[in-house]
Amino acid sequence: MDKYYLYPATLFASDTSYEVTTVLGSCVAVCLWDNVKQIGGINHYMLPLWNGQGLATPKYGNIATEKLLQRMLELGCSKSNITAKIFGGGEIIDTQISSFNIGERNIQIAKESLAELNIPIVGLSVGGKLGRKIIYYTETGKVLHKFIEKTLGNS
Amino acid sequence: MINDSTLISELEKRFNDNKRAIAELQELTEQLKTVNKMLEESEALKSHFISNIRNEIINPFTSILNLSKQITSMTDIEKAKKSAALIHSEAFFLDFQLKNIFAAAELEAGETYPQIYSVNVLSTVQNLIDSYQGSLSAKKLEITLNSSIDTEFSFKSDPGKLSLIYSNLLNNAILFSKDGGMIEISLSFEFDSMIFTIKDNGIGIETDKVKVIFDRFKRLDNTINTLSSGYGLGLSVAKAITDMLNGTISVESIVGQGATFSVVIPDVHIDTEATGTAIDENGMLF
Repeated sequence: MDKYYLYPATLFASDTSYEVTTVLGSCVAVCLWDNVKQIGGINHYMLPLWNGQGLATPKYGNIATEKLLQRMLELGCSKSNITAKIFGGGEIIDTQISSFNIGERNIQIAKESLAELNIPIVGLSVGGKLGRKIIYYTETGKVLHKFIEKTLGNS
Repeated sequence: MINDSTLISELEKRFNDNKRAIAELQELTEQLKTVNKMLEESEALKSHFISNIRNEIINPFTSILNLSKQITSMTDIEKAKKSAALIHSEAFFLDFQLKNIFAAAELEAGETYPQIYSVNVLSTVQNLIDSYQGSLSAKKLEITLNSSIDTEFSFKSDPGKLSLIYSNLLNNAILFSKDGGMIEISLSFEFDSMIFTIKDNGIGIETDKVKVIFDRFKRLDNTINTLSSGYGLGLSVAKAITDMLNGTISVESIVGQGATFSVVIPDVHIDTEATGTAIDENGMLF
């Protein structure tokens, strides 16, 4: 199985078997999985909404989830077969992002975006005061999840 | 039992509620108007962007095609050399613009991530200046490089991305300088971070425009179109890459006296994959 480390503000989707690792603080990762095609994709965003300034990168939740779905559809997935899992959004004291309640707002936007896209949420581990390390298996849609003491501030 | 005063107070209450509802509605309408205006602007930008891209890609290509065709029938070697230099400068510009376009596309697709190596920043910047020698001498610009770092010094970062940030800033400094101007680059390494500043004495940026300078496709003044080129993608790319490298980019400027851009990029010493320690060994499966 190939391994992939997912950086903040990026996304990944593949129709082959991958083990995708990412570390989350106040950031949120949405894992999408097509149970028929057995294709998985994951994003890792830092802020809830793109405010129209700068590049429209998957650093922002509303952009990241939409783009991830788009990538999955390009790989041949059908929207009706896709389910979602949400991770992260802890209230980590973070010097890089000054906004208040950023974790909570990141979780909220994931739920809203998925509801708008009619994608059911089948699993989640969000909020709290701890960081998370997750390993996503794109072929099975399973996520291995561990709580961690966060040491770096940006994700 | 209802008397007049309770009736009046109830009526007053309802009127007030009504007023409040109208006020809220007005506020929402205002918000809607703003959003609408933003949509219009982005639509205009989109069409503007396509026509700009056409100019910036097709025009250099046309000159490259014509110049190279001319060379094939030239007998005067000096003339041919001049044409070759022109071809080079057009191709150089084209290459730079395409790099920015692809960088923006990759950033927006979430497909690019830091590729960390040891970077010798001093030689990176020196190479960059060398590659811009043509446009520097065309505008008779004087460039100085002050560095407090050693020639052998290197730090951990993404060399390709750093180079694109710096070349965008240098390119801008050249574009917005007047002929015979001065550009000063300084490099230092403090608090575990690489600090790059570039100062020009060109046209400068108005205070209220400084905030939007890193926005996508923003060209601050349409009237300067004849003096300069570029469609404002460069700085938004530089900003997005700087964010990705956990750095900061900022600008100070006085109109008519020039601008100073600073980029601070922290050294990457911790292996990103090892961030954080597990609280316990019990992983959960979702």
